[in-house]
Amino acid sequence: MYLVANIDTGICAATSCKLCTQYCPEANTILYDNEAGQEKGLKYGSAYVAVDRCKGCAQCVWVCDNMAKHNAIKMEMIDQIGDTALTENVTYGEKTSHATLANPVRG
Amino acid sequence: MSLDYVKFTPGFEKFMPKEYRDMVEHGPFGKKISVSQVGTFKEILEEHPMCAGCAMTLFIRLAVVAFPNPEDTITVGTAGCGRLAISQAAVPFVYGNYGDQNGVASGLTRGLRLRFGDQPKDVVVMAGDGGMADIGFAQTLHSWFRKEKFTTIMLDNEVYGNTGGQESGMTNKNQVLKMAPLGKKFEKMDMLGMAKVAGCAYVATVVPNNPRRVESVIKKAVLVAREIGPTYIQAYTSCNIEYAIPTDKVMEDAKTVETDRYKFSEYITDEAKDYLAQLYGYKEYLPKPVAAVEGK
Ligand SMILES: Cc1ncc(C[n+]2csc(CCOP(=O)(O)OP(=O)(O)O)c2C)c(N)n1
Ligand code: SF4
Ligand code: SF4
Ligand code: SF4
Repeated sequence: MYLVANIDTGICAATSCKLCTQYCPEANTILYDNEAGQEKGLKYGSAYVAVDRCKGCAQCVWVCDNMAKHNAIKMEMIDQIGDTALTENVTYGEKTSHATLANPVRG
Repeated sequence: MSLDYVKFTPGFEKFMPKEYRDMVEHGPFGKKISVSQVGTFKEILEEHPMCAGCAMTLFIRLAVVAFPNPEDTITVGTAGCGRLAISQAAVPFVYGNYGDQNGVASGLTRGLRLRFGDQPKDVVVMAGDGGMADIGFAQTLHSWFRKEKFTTIMLDNEVYGNTGGQESGMTNKNQVLKMAPLGKKFEKMDMLGMAKVAGCAYVATVVPNNPRRVESVIKKAVLVAREIGPTYIQAYTSCNIEYAIPTDKVMEDAKTVETDRYKFSEYITDEAKDYLAQLYGYKEYLPKPVAAVEGK
């Protein structure tokens, strides 16, 4: 098994600074959903990771911890992560994207 | 080359892979996209085999996002790590033999001008420091002296990364590398100075820990190369493998190196300033009102 980045929507959606998205070396990997967290009353939306594209470098963790100072990203084992985003479940809208979550190991 | 080449052939849409459909429908073609919007549209760089956490990968990603007109852009590369990613973007990519990239780009740029006349087609070379300052040195310099109108971007990881750690002309003096065990014997080459002497109209150094700045220099370099003359960007894009930088410390390294010896610098000729101000609305290059100049 291997590590991928996982973003805590609760923490991210409180500010949604969008920094990590600009620093991930991989394209189309940290995406942004304007509506994420709304069900919990958080209004800014959240970043999320398409884990099938993530190479596990943890650069986003450094950026969120040290530049954004939000500590919203953790590296987690792909089989421990539960439901998460995969490229095949991502849809793009006008100014946002959205992912229907699925289990990356069981499908 | 135009918006037409990213359309579906009628009847084939439903057979295209999801990534392709996303790119046509939600990609940057024909739109004004900025780095601050990444994560909300489909980027045209696809998956590639460059190492996890490589700063060169991040730089290439940002550069591709920053192309002012991706639908009218051709990239040129050569042997070295960068081409593994550059070739995986949805813009035409030409592979020049190792060191030939600026020669190939010269011919390509001239050919495109003959074929398309005034309609700008942007040619952007991205190659490693070895390919550009050592093996391709003569062709790089000649393309500048000959005022070939395209952008040259050095992916400067200060080593031959793709072949396991030989020193290049851009490696710092005394640096020990896997295949330079006694340390490098001469100074890092001053390619920025040479670019200016050879007549580049825009020259900049940049480090990818500042994505908006990467965007800004790429846009200026590509636009200036359309009409005014050759442009050169030298980007510090560390090799975390050969310099043993832990991947979660790559941005920390970029910050340290930027502060220490790779400070942001920008050189632009008056002609290029005037052109950017008049044609593309760059306010910072508009002529200052007389009162401001005289300090009244
Ligand atoms: C004519 C020729 N000579 C040598 C090589 C072998 N070769 C492939 S990549 C490379 C080094 C690349 O170093 P650099 O240009 O600095 O790019 P990097 O991989 O560091 O990004 C070499 C020597 C080649 N492909 N062609
Ligand atoms: S850096 Fe952290 S808080 Fe900012 S968008 Fe990314 S995950 Fe959210
Ligand atoms: S771990 Fe690396 S590849 Fe994965 S999302 Fe974070 S920055 Fe991107
Ligand atoms: S060898 Fe170095 S420059 Fe090449 S992809 Fe790996 S980390 Fe990047």
